[in-house]
Amino acid sequence: MKIVVCVKQVPEVTNVQVDPKTGTLIREGVKSILNPFCEYALDHAVRIKDRFQDVSITVVSMGPPQARDVLVRSFELGADEGILITDRKFAGADTWTTSLTLAEAIRTVVPDYDLVLVGKQAIDGDTAQVGPEIAEILGLPQITYAVDVTLTSTRRQVRVTQEVEKGYEVIEATLPALVTCSKGEVVRRAPSFKDVINARQKPIRLVSASDLQIPEEQLGLQGSYTQVVKVFPPPAKKSSLLLQNLEAADAAREIFGFLREKRFVE
Amino acid sequence: MHEIYSKTAPEADFSQVKRIEGFENIQAENSAYLSDESKLSAKPFDYLFFPKSEGELAAVVKWLNRQKIPFTVAGARTGLVGGCVPQEGALISLEYLDKVIEVYWDEPSGEWRIKAQTSVSLKNLDSMLRVKQIPLLEQSPDEVIRRHYADFREDIDQYFYPPDPTEMSASLGGSVVTNASGARTYRYGPTRAWIRGMRVFLPNGEYLDIPRGKYTASPGGQFVVYDSKGGARTITIPDYPQPRTKSTAGFYTAPQMDLIDLFIGSEGVLGIVTSVDVALLRHEDKVSIIQFMDSDEQAVTLADALRTEDRIQLDFLEFYSGNALDLLRRLQREEPSTVGMPPIPENARAAVFFEMSFDPHQEDLDFSILEAVINGCGGSLERSWAGYESRELDRFKVFRHMVPETINSIIAERKKQYPDIHKLGTDMAVPDGHMREMWDLYRSRCEALQLEWCAFGHIGNNHIHVNILPRNLEELEKGMQLYEVFAQRAVELGGSVSAEHGIGKIKAKFLKYMFTPEQIEQMRSVKNALDPQNLLNPNDIFPVEVTA
Repeated sequence: MKIVVCVKQVPEVTNVQVDPKTGTLIREGVKSILNPFCEYALDHAVRIKDRFQDVSITVVSMGPPQARDVLVRSFELGADEGILITDRKFAGADTWTTSLTLAEAIRTVVPDYDLVLVGKQAIDGDTAQVGPEIAEILGLPQITYAVDVTLTSTRRQVRVTQEVEKGYEVIEATLPALVTCSKGEVVRRAPSFKDVINARQKPIRLVSASDLQIPEEQLGLQGSYTQVVKVFPPPAKKSSLLLQNLEAADAAREIFGFLREKRFVE
Repeated sequence: MHEIYSKTAPEADFSQVKRIEGFENIQAENSAYLSDESKLSAKPFDYLFFPKSEGELAAVVKWLNRQKIPFTVAGARTGLVGGCVPQEGALISLEYLDKVIEVYWDEPSGEWRIKAQTSVSLKNLDSMLRVKQIPLLEQSPDEVIRRHYADFREDIDQYFYPPDPTEMSASLGGSVVTNASGARTYRYGPTRAWIRGMRVFLPNGEYLDIPRGKYTASPGGQFVVYDSKGGARTITIPDYPQPRTKSTAGFYTAPQMDLIDLFIGSEGVLGIVTSVDVALLRHEDKVSIIQFMDSDEQAVTLADALRTEDRIQLDFLEFYSGNALDLLRRLQREEPSTVGMPPIPENARAAVFFEMSFDPHQEDLDFSILEAVINGCGGSLERSWAGYESRELDRFKVFRHMVPETINSIIAERKKQYPDIHKLGTDMAVPDGHMREMWDLYRSRCEALQLEWCAFGHIGNNHIHVNILPRNLEELEKGMQLYEVFAQRAVELGGSVSAEHGIGKIKAKFLKYMFTPEQIEQMRSVKNALDPQNLLNPNDIFPVEVTA
């Protein structure tokens, strides 16, 4: 049984600089990590693998050559095989072209996949679009915002606890399927140092544009329907009430009055 | 040069200094100032001052001098021996002196340095260095400061301040006057090794600027301090030898020592440090490893083997006893997200925690020497946790700090039933070659008395913190007696009764194990020379019974 986990390399800090000319993020000098939601997706895959011996996990990432770091990190955490989709022709891809490229790579390199797990979103772009788009392109049933992912006893369905606004729903989908993962109750794994050393000896398969059946005009910036025009931090909310030079009891009365006025208390 | 002149700061208007007067008001509005991390309680005191500049500090100190009011000085109140907990008079909180002043390149030493006010927290300093952003310097009206800052930003390397006393909310000045050490002392030495200059206000309200290397004791072991009114005070440095371990017990002394070293680790009884120049070091990528072992003895053996293997350079080398791991396991069951780590392996009965340089991009990592050492001690690298991303290093660090924090919360709970109960945490270091003997003593005595206890800490410096958690007052008494047994033995082996926590108010009684009455009197005369009225931090280091 094969599980594919899509993983993305993201900057470690949220306060990244933006290139004023292209409107894209400047990655130089910023350390990169495995996107936390991708790590949760991988964690679900590893849990399934812990339960069923014949499961193998293939991690797939699209990015510049240094994105191999997140594949190495995924090996440390329990992935078996890694695929790096890298080519200058992929540069500047928006969510659609990224999804198209990832989907085509999965179809080409792991045609016999049973389950695709992805993070619900990346902490840099925050779009939450790539997972659902891959599912559409591959024609798979999809379940989003999973906090728990297991297989049914027949192993023909995936059973997912999904986060919804007022709680959780447990739903199933017939395999092959795609699941996007949220955080849930996951306490992040800690690989052994042996895992860390061994991860660096595993081969990574490289996939370039010529390996995929996608016309060049549908790749990268050229194939993108959307473009990042501007990236900026959300404006800080300025409204605040500051009480100064008051006795504690008077301050408490003021705060209580404010809360009552705003209907936080009766 | 052994002569130095103190200067007067432009004095601010004393009446404008922020303050709270009256113990009842202080208790009601500022109860945090009534204790520190030692949980020692303050005795009634009358004034709490918050100077916002050196001028205000000078005004406060001079006023207190005129009134002959004793005063205690507080930084971030993270000390473990009650140093900043007032017993009388006034408390001066330095918390508003919290600005970074400058970052600059020192050409002769070839190092970047930061000059900062005393209450910059180690955590803030670390965060600013991680992102290389110090907004105050960027916006400085001083063109030279802005230029130096721009040069620093342009340097492609990352830099850090090596001392890491675990409690990162500690203030920089506090870490200097306590000569704070911690895990990384194993490789980088204590705070002392990174201090390049300081400004210190003397108990008379005048200040000294002391760059390292400028003022050294005369061949006869003296310094002379002249004040602005023409007065002169002669300091005769003590002549006792320093222990062959890290130590914060008593004043530092050495032949022809640097004046700056007298103030570093003096626990604030000689002066008030208001700004410090510290050296920075180029950052290297690291990996943290928690190596699980089958028994405490196996872990002690591994620590010894790692320390003596010259081909392995570790940044720190720490120990968790089996019963410390049990405390964490209990916490993991109750609050898994607080611990933030996967379950501790069931069969792990002790652990050794270390950090070393590591290039995550290197494909052919050769750690065969490390692996051979671990295997040779009965361990296996497969039974370890490793992390190298900075968020992972942070997570491991939090985990490391969790043992003492868990102990503190257990003790706080027990205090509800027995208010007199407190933690008994040893802080003794012994010279190389004596760790196993000390460990055997700790374990056998604690077990013989059936006390609840655990051990953790800096085994690389032969400095394990044994913590006894008394369940009632009888156990508290037994634990205190045991503590004295441990202290005596550590000194007999050539070690220190206080390797890093200092003496303060709580450990003053242990000074007599390390120093003769004459030696304590030598220290006392240093204090007298600078603070003849004994107004500054009057109850620290020197217990009443020794001086009486």
